[in-house]
Amino acid sequence: MDIKRIVYSKEDISNRVKELGAKITNDYKDKDLVVIGVMKGALYFMSDLTKEIDLPIKVDVIGFGNIPDTTSKTGVVRITKDIDIDIKDKHVLIIEDVIRTGLTTAYLSSHLEKYEPASINLCTMLLNPNRLLMTIPVKYSGFEIDDSWLIGYGLDKEEIGRNLPYIAEIKRK
Amino acid sequence: MAVITISRQVGSLGDELASYLSSKLNCAIIDRAHIMEILSASCPPDEINKLNDSAKAFNNIIPDKEITYKELMISKIDSIIEEANTNNSDVIIVGLGGVVFAKNYKDVLNIRISASEATRQKRLMKKFQIDSGEAENLISIGDKKHKRFVSLLWNRDLSDSSLYDLSLNTDNLSIEECAEGILSLLEKKKMRSLITKEVEETTDVINHQTVTPVFKNESEAEFARILDLYHIEWMYEPKTFPIEWDLEGNIISAFSPDFYLPKFNLYLELTTMEQKYVNKKKKKAQKCMELYPGTNVRIVYKRDFEELVERLSKFN
Repeated sequence: MDIKRIVYSKEDISNRVKELGAKITNDYKDKDLVVIGVMKGALYFMSDLTKEIDLPIKVDVIGFGNIPDTTSKTGVVRITKDIDIDIKDKHVLIIEDVIRTGLTTAYLSSHLEKYEPASINLCTMLLNPNRLLMTIPVKYSGFEIDDSWLIGYGLDKEEIGRNLPYIAEIKRK
Repeated sequence: MAVITISRQVGSLGDELASYLSSKLNCAIIDRAHIMEILSASCPPDEINKLNDSAKAFNNIIPDKEITYKELMISKIDSIIEEANTNNSDVIIVGLGGVVFAKNYKDVLNIRISASEATRQKRLMKKFQIDSGEAENLISIGDKKHKRFVSLLWNRDLSDSSLYDLSLNTDNLSIEECAEGILSLLEKKKMRSLITKEVEETTDVINHQTVTPVFKNESEAEFARILDLYHIEWMYEPKTFPIEWDLEGNIISAFSPDFYLPKFNLYLELTTMEQKYVNKKKKKAQKCMELYPGTNVRIVYKRDFEELVERLSKFN
Protein backbone atom coordinates (compact mmCIF):
# COMPACT_ATOMS: atom_id res chain seq x y z
CA MET A 1 0.00 0.00 0.00
CA ASP A 2 1.64 3.26 -1.15
CA ILE A 3 0.73 5.79 1.50
CA LYS A 4 1.64 9.34 0.47
CA ARG A 5 0.72 11.09 3.72
CA ILE A 6 -1.51 10.90 6.73
CA VAL A 7 -4.40 13.30 6.18
CA TYR A 8 -6.16 12.88 9.54
CA SER A 9 -4.37 11.32 12.50
CA LYS A 10 -5.94 9.05 15.08
CA GLU A 11 -6.07 12.04 17.42
CA ASP A 12 -7.68 14.34 14.79
CA ILE A 13 -10.35 11.74 14.21
CA SER A 14 -10.95 11.12 17.91
CA ASN A 15 -11.35 14.84 18.63
CA ARG A 16 -13.73 15.36 15.74
CA VAL A 17 -15.81 12.31 16.65
CA LYS A 18 -16.16 13.66 20.21
CA GLU A 19 -17.37 17.01 18.81
CA LEU A 20 -19.88 15.33 16.54
CA GLY A 21 -21.09 13.07 19.37
CA ALA A 22 -21.69 16.06 21.63
CA LYS A 23 -23.56 17.91 18.92
CA ILE A 24 -25.76 14.92 18.12
CA THR A 25 -26.43 14.40 21.83
CA ASN A 26 -27.62 17.97 22.09
CA ASP A 27 -29.68 17.92 18.86
CA TYR A 28 -31.48 14.67 19.65
CA LYS A 29 -32.11 14.93 23.37
CA ASP A 30 -35.70 13.91 24.20
CA LYS A 31 -36.01 12.21 20.81
CA ASP A 32 -36.08 8.51 19.88
CA LEU A 33 -32.89 8.20 17.88
CA VAL A 34 -31.91 5.21 15.77
CA VAL A 35 -28.39 5.26 14.36
CA ILE A 36 -27.94 3.21 11.20
CA GLY A 37 -24.45 2.52 9.89
CA VAL A 38 -23.79 1.70 6.27
CA MET A 39 -21.67 -1.43 5.92
CA LYS A 40 -18.81 -1.87 5.74
CA GLY A 41 -17.08 1.47 5.58
CA ALA A 42 -18.99 3.20 8.37
CA LEU A 43 -18.51 0.50 11.00
CA TYR A 44 -15.39 2.02 12.60
CA PHE A 45 -16.82 5.53 12.60
CA MET A 46 -20.19 4.35 13.91
CA SER A 47 -18.58 2.37 16.69
CA ASP A 48 -16.61 5.40 17.94
CA LEU A 49 -19.38 7.93 17.33
CA THR A 50 -22.14 6.06 19.15
CA LYS A 51 -19.92 5.82 22.23
CA GLU A 52 -19.81 9.64 22.24
CA ILE A 53 -23.59 10.03 21.99
CA ASP A 54 -24.89 10.31 25.51
CA LEU A 55 -28.45 9.19 24.76
CA PRO A 56 -30.37 5.88 24.94
CA ILE A 57 -30.04 5.25 21.21
CA LYS A 58 -30.76 2.14 19.17
CA VAL A 59 -28.15 0.95 16.68
CA ASP A 60 -28.53 -0.98 13.46
CA VAL A 61 -26.64 -1.54 10.22
CA ILE A 62 -27.64 -1.68 6.59
CA GLY A 63 -25.76 -3.16 3.68
CA PHE A 64 -26.19 -3.13 -0.04
CA GLY A 65 -24.58 -4.74 -3.01
CA ASN A 66 -25.21 -5.24 -6.69
CA ILE A 67 -25.97 -8.18 -8.86
CA PRO A 68 -24.75 -8.47 -12.45
CA ASP A 69 -27.08 -7.38 -15.20
CA THR A 70 -26.46 -8.01 -18.86
CA THR A 71 -27.97 -4.68 -19.91
CA SER A 72 -25.63 -2.58 -17.78
CA LYS A 73 -21.98 -2.42 -16.82
CA THR A 74 -23.02 -1.60 -13.30
CA GLY A 75 -25.46 -4.35 -12.41
CA VAL A 76 -28.48 -3.84 -10.21
CA VAL A 77 -28.23 -2.46 -6.67
CA ARG A 78 -30.08 -4.24 -3.91
CA ILE A 79 -30.18 -4.22 -0.14
CA THR A 80 -28.14 -7.16 1.14
CA LYS A 81 -28.70 -6.52 4.84
CA ASP A 82 -31.78 -4.55 5.82
CA ILE A 83 -32.40 -3.01 9.22
CA ASP A 84 -33.99 -5.13 11.95
CA ILE A 85 -35.23 -2.31 14.16
CA ASP A 86 -38.66 -0.73 13.64
CA ILE A 87 -37.94 2.92 12.79
CA LYS A 88 -41.54 4.07 12.26
CA ASP A 89 -41.92 7.52 13.89
CA LYS A 90 -38.31 7.37 15.11
CA HIS A 91 -35.55 9.82 14.23
CA VAL A 92 -32.98 8.16 12.00
CA LEU A 93 -29.34 9.14 11.61
CA ILE A 94 -27.56 7.36 8.76
CA ILE A 95 -23.82 7.00 9.35
CA GLU A 96 -21.50 6.95 6.35
CA ASP A 97 -17.73 6.82 6.11
CA VAL A 98 -17.60 9.03 3.04
CA ILE A 99 -20.10 10.80 0.80
CA ARG A 100 -18.92 11.74 -2.66
CA THR A 101 -21.66 11.85 -5.30
CA GLY A 102 -24.35 11.01 -2.74
CA LEU A 103 -26.08 8.49 -5.01
CA THR A 104 -25.66 5.60 -2.59
CA THR A 105 -26.83 7.68 0.31
CA ALA A 106 -29.84 8.93 -1.64
CA TYR A 107 -30.73 5.34 -2.44
CA LEU A 108 -30.46 4.19 1.17
CA SER A 109 -32.33 7.22 2.40
CA SER A 110 -35.18 6.51 -0.05
CA HIS A 111 -35.21 2.89 1.06
CA LEU A 112 -35.51 3.86 4.74
CA GLU A 113 -38.22 6.42 3.99
CA LYS A 114 -40.52 3.50 3.23
CA TYR A 115 -40.46 2.60 6.92
CA GLU A 116 -41.98 6.01 7.76
CA PRO A 117 -39.46 7.38 10.25
CA ALA A 118 -40.09 10.78 11.86
CA SER A 119 -36.95 12.16 10.21
CA ILE A 120 -33.84 11.05 8.34
CA ASN A 121 -30.54 12.86 8.57
CA LEU A 122 -27.00 12.02 7.58
CA CYS A 123 -23.72 11.99 9.38
CA THR A 124 -20.57 11.28 7.42
CA MET A 125 -16.95 11.20 8.49
CA LEU A 126 -15.79 12.57 5.14
CA LEU A 127 -17.64 14.73 2.63
CA ASN A 128 -16.56 15.94 -0.78
CA PRO A 129 -18.94 18.87 -1.30
CA ASN A 130 -17.60 19.64 -4.78
CA ARG A 131 -18.70 16.29 -6.12
CA LEU A 132 -22.02 16.00 -4.35
CA LEU A 133 -24.67 15.44 -7.01
CA MET A 134 -27.71 14.79 -4.86
CA THR A 135 -29.39 17.29 -2.59
CA ILE A 136 -29.28 15.08 0.49
CA PRO A 137 -29.66 16.11 4.14
CA VAL A 138 -26.04 15.92 5.36
CA LYS A 139 -26.46 17.29 8.87
CA TYR A 140 -23.07 16.36 10.28
CA SER A 141 -19.72 15.86 8.59
CA GLY A 142 -16.34 15.21 10.12
CA PHE A 143 -13.99 16.56 7.49
CA GLU A 144 -14.36 17.96 3.99
CA ILE A 145 -12.14 16.28 1.45
CA ASP A 146 -10.99 16.80 -2.14
CA ASP A 147 -10.47 14.22 -4.88
CA SER A 148 -7.53 12.49 -3.17
CA TRP A 149 -7.58 8.72 -2.88
CA LEU A 150 -7.99 7.88 0.79
CA ILE A 151 -7.87 4.77 2.95
CA GLY A 152 -8.18 4.00 6.64
CA TYR A 153 -10.81 4.34 9.34
CA GLY A 154 -13.23 2.26 7.29
CA LEU A 155 -12.11 3.33 3.82
CA ASP A 156 -10.46 0.65 1.75
CA LYS A 157 -8.64 -0.09 -1.42
CA GLU A 158 -9.76 -3.50 -2.62
CA GLU A 159 -10.85 -4.32 0.95
CA ILE A 160 -7.43 -3.50 2.44
CA GLY A 161 -6.81 -0.58 4.80
CA ARG A 162 -10.13 -0.30 6.60
CA ASN A 163 -8.57 -1.05 9.99
CA LEU A 164 -5.98 1.72 9.87
CA PRO A 165 -6.60 4.06 12.84
CA TYR A 166 -5.91 7.14 10.68
CA ILE A 167 -7.01 8.40 7.27
CA ALA A 168 -4.24 8.49 4.69
CA GLU A 169 -3.84 9.55 1.08
CA ILE A 170 -2.57 6.87 -1.25
CA LYS A 171 -0.99 7.11 -4.67
CA ARG A 172 -3.29 6.80 -7.65
CA LYS A 173 -2.97 3.80 -9.92
CA MET B 1 -65.89 22.38 -21.18
CA ALA B 2 -64.37 25.85 -20.73
CA VAL B 3 -64.64 28.75 -18.33
CA ILE B 4 -64.78 32.26 -19.79
CA THR B 5 -64.11 35.10 -17.39
CA ILE B 6 -65.20 38.56 -18.40
CA SER B 7 -63.77 41.54 -16.62
CA ARG B 8 -65.44 44.68 -17.83
CA GLN B 9 -65.53 48.41 -17.31
CA VAL B 10 -68.85 50.11 -16.60
CA GLY B 11 -70.48 50.95 -19.92
CA SER B 12 -68.13 48.79 -21.96
CA LEU B 13 -70.92 46.38 -23.03
CA GLY B 14 -69.29 43.57 -21.03
CA ASP B 15 -72.57 42.43 -19.46
CA GLU B 16 -74.38 42.53 -22.80
CA LEU B 17 -71.58 40.55 -24.40
CA ALA B 18 -71.77 37.95 -21.60
CA SER B 19 -75.52 37.52 -22.22
CA TYR B 20 -74.94 37.17 -25.94
CA LEU B 21 -72.21 34.57 -25.42
CA SER B 22 -74.39 32.72 -22.94
CA SER B 23 -77.16 32.39 -25.49
CA LYS B 24 -74.71 31.30 -28.20
CA LEU B 25 -73.04 28.72 -25.99
CA ASN B 26 -76.22 27.81 -24.13
CA CYS B 27 -74.36 28.06 -20.85
CA ALA B 28 -74.74 29.60 -17.38
CA ILE B 29 -73.54 33.04 -16.31
CA ILE B 30 -72.15 33.55 -12.85
CA ASP B 31 -72.25 37.22 -11.93
CA ARG B 32 -72.69 39.29 -8.81
CA ALA B 33 -76.50 39.10 -8.89
CA HIS B 34 -76.37 35.32 -9.19
CA ILE B 35 -73.90 35.02 -6.31
CA MET B 36 -75.88 37.35 -4.05
CA GLU B 37 -78.98 35.28 -4.72
CA ILE B 38 -77.13 32.11 -3.72
CA LEU B 39 -75.63 33.73 -0.63
CA SER B 40 -79.05 35.09 0.41
CA ALA B 41 -80.23 31.52 0.87
CA SER B 42 -77.71 30.86 3.61
CA CYS B 43 -77.03 34.30 5.12
CA PRO B 44 -79.19 36.74 7.12
CA PRO B 45 -80.53 39.81 5.18
CA ASP B 46 -78.49 42.36 7.15
CA GLU B 47 -75.32 40.45 6.27
CA ILE B 48 -76.31 40.50 2.61
CA ASN B 49 -76.75 44.27 2.87
CA LYS B 50 -73.24 44.54 4.26
CA LEU B 51 -71.92 42.54 1.32
CA ASN B 52 -73.76 44.87 -1.07
CA ASP B 53 -72.27 47.91 0.63
CA SER B 54 -68.69 46.85 1.11
CA ALA B 55 -66.28 44.44 -0.55
CA LYS B 56 -64.51 44.16 2.80
CA ALA B 57 -67.50 42.29 4.21
CA PHE B 58 -66.70 39.32 1.94
CA ASN B 59 -63.74 38.60 4.19
CA ASN B 60 -65.97 38.40 7.30
CA ILE B 61 -66.67 35.03 8.85
CA ILE B 62 -70.28 33.91 8.39
CA PRO B 63 -72.10 33.76 11.77
CA ASP B 64 -72.24 30.19 13.13
CA LYS B 65 -69.97 28.97 10.33
CA GLU B 66 -66.22 28.68 10.09
CA ILE B 67 -65.79 30.14 6.64
CA THR B 68 -65.85 33.63 5.15
CA TYR B 69 -68.36 34.87 2.59
CA LYS B 70 -65.55 34.84 0.06
CA GLU B 71 -64.86 31.16 0.75
CA LEU B 72 -68.56 30.35 0.55
CA MET B 73 -68.77 32.21 -2.76
CA ILE B 74 -65.85 30.22 -4.17
CA SER B 75 -67.26 26.91 -2.99
CA LYS B 76 -70.59 27.72 -4.67
CA ILE B 77 -68.83 28.68 -7.89
CA ASP B 78 -66.76 25.49 -7.70
CA SER B 79 -69.97 23.46 -7.46
CA ILE B 80 -71.49 25.22 -10.47
CA ILE B 81 -68.35 24.60 -12.51
CA GLU B 82 -68.14 20.98 -11.40
CA GLU B 83 -71.74 20.47 -12.51
CA ALA B 84 -71.06 22.19 -15.83
CA ASN B 85 -68.03 19.97 -16.30
CA THR B 86 -70.18 16.88 -15.73
CA ASN B 87 -72.67 18.15 -18.32
CA ASN B 88 -69.83 19.20 -20.62
CA SER B 89 -71.16 22.74 -20.80
CA ASP B 90 -69.27 26.03 -20.54
CA VAL B 91 -69.53 28.66 -17.82
CA ILE B 92 -69.16 32.43 -18.05
CA ILE B 93 -68.01 34.33 -14.97
CA VAL B 94 -68.69 38.05 -15.15
CA GLY B 95 -66.75 40.25 -12.75
CA LEU B 96 -66.20 38.97 -9.17
CA GLY B 97 -62.47 38.84 -9.86
CA GLY B 98 -63.08 35.64 -11.81
CA VAL B 99 -59.97 36.33 -13.82
CA VAL B 100 -57.92 35.74 -10.65
CA PHE B 101 -59.59 32.75 -9.02
CA ALA B 102 -60.53 30.93 -12.24
CA LYS B 103 -56.90 30.13 -12.93
CA ASN B 104 -57.43 27.00 -10.84
CA TYR B 105 -59.92 25.68 -13.39
CA LYS B 106 -59.04 23.90 -16.58
CA ASP B 107 -59.39 25.58 -19.99
CA VAL B 108 -60.00 29.15 -18.94
CA LEU B 109 -60.23 32.10 -21.30
CA ASN B 110 -59.78 35.46 -19.60
CA ILE B 111 -61.34 38.41 -21.43
CA ARG B 112 -61.10 42.10 -20.62
CA ILE B 113 -63.74 44.41 -22.11
CA SER B 114 -63.10 48.11 -22.11
CA ALA B 115 -64.00 51.26 -24.02
CA SER B 116 -63.00 54.90 -24.02
CA GLU B 117 -64.53 57.09 -21.34
CA ALA B 118 -66.39 59.15 -23.95
CA THR B 119 -68.02 56.07 -25.45
CA ARG B 120 -68.93 54.69 -22.08
CA GLN B 121 -70.51 58.03 -21.06
CA LYS B 122 -72.62 58.14 -24.21
CA ARG B 123 -73.83 54.59 -23.64
CA LEU B 124 -74.79 55.22 -20.03
CA MET B 125 -76.55 58.50 -20.91
CA LYS B 126 -78.63 56.68 -23.49
CA LYS B 127 -79.31 53.64 -21.34
CA PHE B 128 -80.32 55.47 -18.16
CA GLN B 129 -81.54 58.76 -19.67
CA ILE B 130 -79.03 60.74 -17.62
CA ASP B 131 -76.76 63.69 -18.33
CA SER B 132 -73.03 63.51 -18.97
CA GLY B 133 -72.12 64.53 -15.42
CA GLU B 134 -74.24 61.76 -13.96
CA ALA B 135 -72.79 59.27 -16.44
CA GLU B 136 -69.27 60.38 -15.55
CA ASN B 137 -70.10 59.89 -11.89
CA LEU B 138 -71.51 56.40 -12.53
CA ILE B 139 -68.37 55.40 -14.40
CA SER B 140 -66.09 56.75 -11.71
CA ILE B 141 -67.96 54.98 -8.88
CA GLY B 142 -68.35 51.73 -10.85
CA ASP B 143 -64.70 51.53 -11.90
CA LYS B 144 -63.53 52.26 -8.35
CA LYS B 145 -65.84 49.61 -6.90
CA HIS B 146 -64.66 46.96 -9.36
CA LYS B 147 -61.06 47.80 -8.67
CA ARG B 148 -61.53 47.81 -4.90
CA PHE B 149 -63.42 44.51 -4.93
CA VAL B 150 -60.66 42.67 -6.80
CA SER B 151 -57.93 44.36 -4.82
CA LEU B 152 -59.51 43.57 -1.44
CA LEU B 153 -60.54 40.00 -2.21
CA TRP B 154 -57.77 38.88 -4.50
CA ASN B 155 -55.00 41.40 -3.99
CA ARG B 156 -54.69 41.99 -7.73
CA ASP B 157 -54.97 45.04 -9.95
CA LEU B 158 -57.70 44.68 -12.57
CA SER B 159 -55.80 46.92 -14.96
CA ASP B 160 -52.89 44.46 -15.07
CA SER B 161 -52.96 43.38 -18.72
CA SER B 162 -51.04 40.17 -17.96
CA LEU B 163 -54.19 38.77 -16.36
CA TYR B 164 -56.01 38.54 -19.68
CA ASP B 165 -55.78 36.33 -22.75
CA LEU B 166 -57.70 38.83 -24.83
CA SER B 167 -58.54 42.51 -24.34
CA LEU B 168 -61.23 44.09 -26.50
CA ASN B 169 -62.02 47.76 -26.93
CA THR B 170 -65.70 48.07 -27.86
CA ASP B 171 -65.44 51.64 -29.15
CA ASN B 172 -65.58 50.35 -32.71
CA LEU B 173 -66.64 46.75 -32.24
CA SER B 174 -70.18 45.46 -31.91
CA ILE B 175 -71.19 42.80 -29.41
CA GLU B 176 -71.54 40.29 -32.26
CA GLU B 177 -68.06 41.08 -33.57
CA CYS B 178 -66.53 40.72 -30.10
CA ALA B 179 -68.41 37.46 -29.55
CA GLU B 180 -67.22 36.10 -32.88
CA GLY B 181 -63.60 36.69 -31.88
CA ILE B 182 -64.08 35.15 -28.46
CA LEU B 183 -65.91 32.09 -29.77
CA SER B 184 -63.27 31.48 -32.41
CA LEU B 185 -60.54 31.70 -29.79
CA LEU B 186 -62.51 29.43 -27.47
CA GLU B 187 -62.84 26.79 -30.14
CA LYS B 188 -59.10 26.85 -30.84
CA LYS B 189 -58.33 26.68 -27.13
CA LYS B 190 -60.60 23.67 -26.67
CA MET B 191 -58.98 21.98 -29.65
CA ARG B 192 -55.50 22.61 -28.27
CA SER B 193 -56.53 21.27 -24.90
CA LEU B 194 -57.85 18.12 -26.53
CA ILE B 195 -54.63 17.61 -28.48
CA THR B 196 -52.49 18.23 -25.38
CA LYS B 197 -54.55 15.72 -23.43
CA GLU B 198 -54.08 13.13 -26.16
CA VAL B 199 -50.33 13.79 -26.26
CA GLU B 200 -50.08 13.48 -22.48
CA GLU B 201 -52.03 10.24 -22.56
CA THR B 202 -49.98 8.72 -25.31
CA THR B 203 -46.41 9.90 -24.70
CA ASP B 204 -46.20 9.66 -20.91
CA VAL B 205 -43.62 12.34 -20.27
CA ILE B 206 -43.64 11.86 -16.51
CA ASN B 207 -43.39 8.12 -16.22
CA HIS B 208 -40.33 7.79 -18.39
CA GLN B 209 -39.81 4.21 -17.24
CA THR B 210 -42.43 2.99 -19.68
CA VAL B 211 -41.02 4.85 -22.67
CA THR B 212 -37.33 4.59 -23.43
CA PRO B 213 -35.96 7.99 -24.41
CA VAL B 214 -33.46 8.31 -27.21
CA PHE B 215 -30.14 9.16 -25.60
CA LYS B 216 -27.49 11.10 -27.44
CA ASN B 217 -24.69 8.76 -26.39
CA GLU B 218 -23.91 5.58 -24.46
CA SER B 219 -22.76 7.52 -21.37
CA GLU B 220 -26.19 9.05 -20.96
CA ALA B 221 -27.82 5.65 -21.33
CA GLU B 222 -25.46 4.15 -18.72
CA PHE B 223 -26.05 7.05 -16.36
CA ALA B 224 -29.81 6.52 -16.71
CA ARG B 225 -29.25 2.88 -15.81
CA ILE B 226 -27.21 3.94 -12.76
CA LEU B 227 -30.06 6.17 -11.62
CA ASP B 228 -32.48 3.33 -12.24
CA LEU B 229 -30.48 0.89 -10.19
CA TYR B 230 -30.45 3.39 -7.34
CA HIS B 231 -34.23 3.72 -7.75
CA ILE B 232 -33.84 7.44 -8.37
CA GLU B 233 -36.66 8.75 -10.55
CA TRP B 234 -35.43 10.77 -13.51
CA MET B 235 -36.61 12.54 -16.62
CA TYR B 236 -34.47 12.92 -19.72
CA GLU B 237 -34.08 16.46 -21.08
CA PRO B 238 -37.53 17.50 -19.89
CA LYS B 239 -36.92 21.23 -20.22
CA THR B 240 -35.05 23.76 -22.32
CA PHE B 241 -34.01 27.01 -20.69
CA PRO B 242 -33.42 29.98 -23.02
CA ILE B 243 -30.28 31.71 -21.72
CA GLU B 244 -29.36 34.26 -24.37
CA TRP B 245 -31.41 36.57 -26.58
CA ASP B 246 -30.56 38.95 -29.41
CA LEU B 247 -31.62 42.59 -29.49
CA GLU B 248 -35.00 41.69 -30.95
CA GLY B 249 -35.67 39.20 -28.18
CA ASN B 250 -35.07 36.09 -30.28
CA ILE B 251 -33.49 33.17 -28.41
CA ILE B 252 -29.93 32.62 -29.58
CA SER B 253 -28.74 30.21 -26.91
CA ALA B 254 -30.53 27.65 -24.76
CA PHE B 255 -29.61 24.98 -22.24
CA SER B 256 -31.26 21.55 -21.95
CA PRO B 257 -29.82 19.68 -18.96
CA ASP B 258 -29.60 15.94 -19.58
CA PHE B 259 -31.48 14.69 -16.54
CA TYR B 260 -33.99 16.02 -14.07
CA LEU B 261 -34.46 14.30 -10.71
CA PRO B 262 -37.92 15.37 -9.47
CA LYS B 263 -37.40 14.13 -5.93
CA PHE B 264 -34.29 16.27 -5.53
CA ASN B 265 -35.53 19.13 -7.72
CA LEU B 266 -32.21 18.86 -9.46
CA TYR B 267 -30.96 18.98 -13.04
CA LEU B 268 -27.83 17.03 -13.96
CA GLU B 269 -25.67 17.72 -16.97
CA LEU B 270 -23.27 14.98 -18.01
CA THR B 271 -19.84 15.97 -19.29
CA THR B 272 -17.91 13.02 -20.55
CA MET B 273 -16.26 14.98 -23.32
CA GLU B 274 -13.23 17.24 -23.77
CA GLN B 275 -12.42 19.96 -21.26
CA LYS B 276 -13.27 22.82 -23.64
CA TYR B 277 -16.85 21.58 -23.85
CA VAL B 278 -16.94 21.11 -20.10
CA ASN B 279 -16.19 24.80 -19.51
CA LYS B 280 -18.88 25.77 -22.00
CA LYS B 281 -21.41 23.58 -20.22
CA LYS B 282 -20.38 24.93 -16.83
CA LYS B 283 -20.96 28.48 -18.05
CA LYS B 284 -24.36 27.56 -19.45
CA ALA B 285 -25.36 25.85 -16.21
CA GLN B 286 -24.23 28.87 -14.20
CA LYS B 287 -26.14 31.26 -16.44
CA CYS B 288 -29.23 29.07 -16.24
CA MET B 289 -29.17 29.15 -12.44
CA GLU B 290 -28.71 32.93 -12.45
CA LEU B 291 -31.58 33.51 -14.88
CA TYR B 292 -33.96 31.00 -13.28
CA PRO B 293 -33.71 31.32 -9.49
CA GLY B 294 -34.60 28.11 -7.71
CA THR B 295 -33.22 25.97 -10.56
CA ASN B 296 -30.42 23.69 -9.38
CA VAL B 297 -28.04 22.36 -12.00
CA ARG B 298 -25.04 20.18 -11.22
CA ILE B 299 -22.39 18.95 -13.56
CA VAL B 300 -21.50 15.27 -13.58
CA TYR B 301 -17.84 15.25 -14.52
CA LYS B 302 -16.23 12.49 -16.53
CA ARG B 303 -14.24 11.27 -13.51
CA ASP B 304 -17.40 11.09 -11.35
CA PHE B 305 -19.16 9.10 -13.98
CA GLU B 306 -16.27 6.72 -14.64
CA GLU B 307 -15.61 6.14 -10.95
CA LEU B 308 -19.28 5.50 -10.37
CA VAL B 309 -19.36 2.90 -13.11
CA GLU B 310 -16.08 1.35 -11.94
CA ARG B 311 -17.13 1.25 -8.29
CA LEU B 312 -20.46 -0.29 -9.09
CA SER B 313 -19.04 -2.86 -11.46
CA LYS B 314 -16.52 -3.98 -8.80
CA PHE B 315 -19.02 -3.74 -6.06
CA ASN B 316 -20.21 -7.30 -6.14
